[in-house]
Amino acid sequence: MRSKIVPILNLLEDYEKLKPLTDRRPVASLPFACRYRLIDFPFSSLYNAESESAALFISGSGHSLYDHIRSGSTWGLDSSAGGGVFTHSQLEKKSATGTDSKHGKFYYDDYYKYVTRSRAEYVAIMGSSLLSNINLNSLLHFHEDKDGEVTIVYKKIRRDDLIADSKLSALQIDNEDSSKVEGVNHISDLNGDEHIYLNMETMLLNKKTFLDFLFKAKNEDLSVNVANFISFTIEEGCTVYGYEYTGYLKAIEDIKSYYDANMDMLDEDNFNALFYRADPVRTRAKNSAPTYYGSTAVIENAQFANDCEVYGTVKHSIVFRKVNIAEGAHIENSIIMQDSSIEEGAVLKNVILDKHVYVKNGARLEGTPENPLVIAKNSVVYSNGEIEEG
Amino acid sequence: MKTETVAMILAGGQGSRLGKLTKQIAKPAVPFGGNYRIIDFAISNCANSGIKNVGVVTQYQPLVLNSHVGNGSSWGLNRHNGGATILQPYSSVDGEKFFKGTAHAIYQNIDYIDQKDPEYVVVLSGDHIYKMDYEKMLEYHKRKDANLTVGVMPVPWEDTSRFGVMNTDKTDRIIEFQEKPEHAKSNLASMGIYIFNWARLKQYLVDNQSKNRQMEDFGHHVIPAYLRNSEAVYAYQFEGYWKDVGTIESLWSANMEFLDPDHELNIRDRDWRVYSRNPNTTPQFLTASARVTDSMITDGCYIAGEVTHSILSHNVKVGKNSVIKDSFVMPNAVIGENVTIDKAIIGEGAHIYDGAEVVGIEEDIAVVGYGEEVGGYSDEK
Repeated sequence: MRSKIVPILNLLEDYEKLKPLTDRRPVASLPFACRYRLIDFPFSSLYNAESESAALFISGSGHSLYDHIRSGSTWGLDSSAGGGVFTHSQLEKKSATGTDSKHGKFYYDDYYKYVTRSRAEYVAIMGSSLLSNINLNSLLHFHEDKDGEVTIVYKKIRRDDLIADSKLSALQIDNEDSSKVEGVNHISDLNGDEHIYLNMETMLLNKKTFLDFLFKAKNEDLSVNVANFISFTIEEGCTVYGYEYTGYLKAIEDIKSYYDANMDMLDEDNFNALFYRADPVRTRAKNSAPTYYGSTAVIENAQFANDCEVYGTVKHSIVFRKVNIAEGAHIENSIIMQDSSIEEGAVLKNVILDKHVYVKNGARLEGTPENPLVIAKNSVVYSNGEIEEG
Repeated sequence: MKTETVAMILAGGQGSRLGKLTKQIAKPAVPFGGNYRIIDFAISNCANSGIKNVGVVTQYQPLVLNSHVGNGSSWGLNRHNGGATILQPYSSVDGEKFFKGTAHAIYQNIDYIDQKDPEYVVVLSGDHIYKMDYEKMLEYHKRKDANLTVGVMPVPWEDTSRFGVMNTDKTDRIIEFQEKPEHAKSNLASMGIYIFNWARLKQYLVDNQSKNRQMEDFGHHVIPAYLRNSEAVYAYQFEGYWKDVGTIESLWSANMEFLDPDHELNIRDRDWRVYSRNPNTTPQFLTASARVTDSMITDGCYIAGEVTHSILSHNVKVGKNSVIKDSFVMPNAVIGENVTIDKAIIGEGAHIYDGAEVVGIEEDIAVVGYGEEVGGYSDEK
């Protein structure tokens, strides 16, 4: 069966508060849970729904994304019959200058081209910073059953599950007909103890509704982020339904929420909710040897990817590929990204080591759970604590 | 560009001495070292040696092997101008093309090789654990202007009676071949690795077939015929780790050796990777009750028990208070709580229920077959 969904991955996500982790990568390629990147989650949703292609819209150059996605074969997006990953980059620049390559009126041309070329009936819009594992097929069934124009995914959470200055929004859900969406509120306008219906910025809509929006946007010279276009559809009087997501969700908006999402995985319930289910999460295969734990290794509640060599103590931490941890090193409540090396006697607590960081013997790095210490990519941390950025 | 070399990996053997581990799958497909199957070493050697056309000849229980090798993409072999090709027996007007020996396996696949039209054919076995640069051997073959070069390695003199032994002159030319000799004149054993000039080998295979002479096996027929006819046959000496994991005990001990971080194979060498089909699975999860020392663990494992000096392949689950020691556990095995496993090989997808024991000794390793269940509720009592 051909896929009924034409997917748009809207990766124009805010990265300011995730610096320095997002200095050289978009939010979508943030490493997560030892062997994934955030983009793997929406891509896996596409894979599990047997999508043939995907269009990506990103703000920067996207090198780290291309490197990860390659041909898209990991997610079955490389078929010569209708497959492909269509990437549209530098949207930030285009938006800032008010122009596409030629004129503001062309801002949505790439969306238009991609969507109209597909025979699929529905457009799916997804992002990557709201970490979750969404089953697009059940979203599709819901959408067809409700027969509305737009279905938007939400999760019932508490306001204070999000950061204080969250830029996300909440849906107003009609109580009479419990799934009808009547409006959208900014999170910042809501109180801490309230239950809210978080707009997960994942939606399914009829192709015609989407094309109407593009037409109007072109005429009125709009260039709004398509994630915000839910407000537009409500204003236009479209029937919008809310689809409740009940699985694991973390809104990754700053360093702390990124850190917490990783630490959440050390809780088996969260880990299972995200990974052990009928819809597997796929990531680009890399060739690797198993991880070796030496006779001096002490491990307590930690996760590792392949290809590490571990001789030290690792507690309550997330360790990516190709990490070496020497005897006598002590790591706690930390995230160690790939290719890092931690020498003898080094102590790391509440730390995020970006890729390829070298921690020399005896160095001490300490953050707090509220404010984890981030060491930028390619840094060297000397024994006296001095940090040389790479 | 003309194809210079085609590699033919013989992967059709059963490996009957591996008992229940090769009942459902061919020996080259037997899991090894946590992340691999035995054939990965030969295919990776091809990829690392720059050989772009690899024929994998299968026959016995080929299903797992075929899906493992696929189009060779895991080894970077899925290219427009080359690739891995599974060669299975087929029927034709000449009858069914099952094969009876190593040389016969090449004979039955002449069409494939001719399609590539190479200068040289590298014949390999899919059964061995080793890293070898076939390109160097090919350079040697060309330098010697040989018609056949045989990969050899020195073995202890007391073991020579188990091998095909090559006697060489001072120029490394092979002057005599002794198959499993009682009194060997040399300790250079054939590794089952051959480089042939294709045109000449084809001639031998086709001519003798039409004359109804036996030309089924390289060791028994082809090499003796080459030597009788004074073809230029040379020995290329390999030095390094090489292991035929032909028995349960040797499969077990090869895995135990593989565990050593200073192992000669140097599995983490970025310049000579051993590639394999990669299962898409989760990170390894070691819970608060896990104790893992001197062990290799692969992605997808969940460990709540104790693992010492063992290899756990992907997606193995180990419950609380279970102890695994000196063992090799194949992918997707589920091990319950309070289980004892010592000096054992646990087959792919096996299920060891709570409280069960699987204990072997060095001379008699305990084996649990693929999908086999041990323990659990008993019908007796």
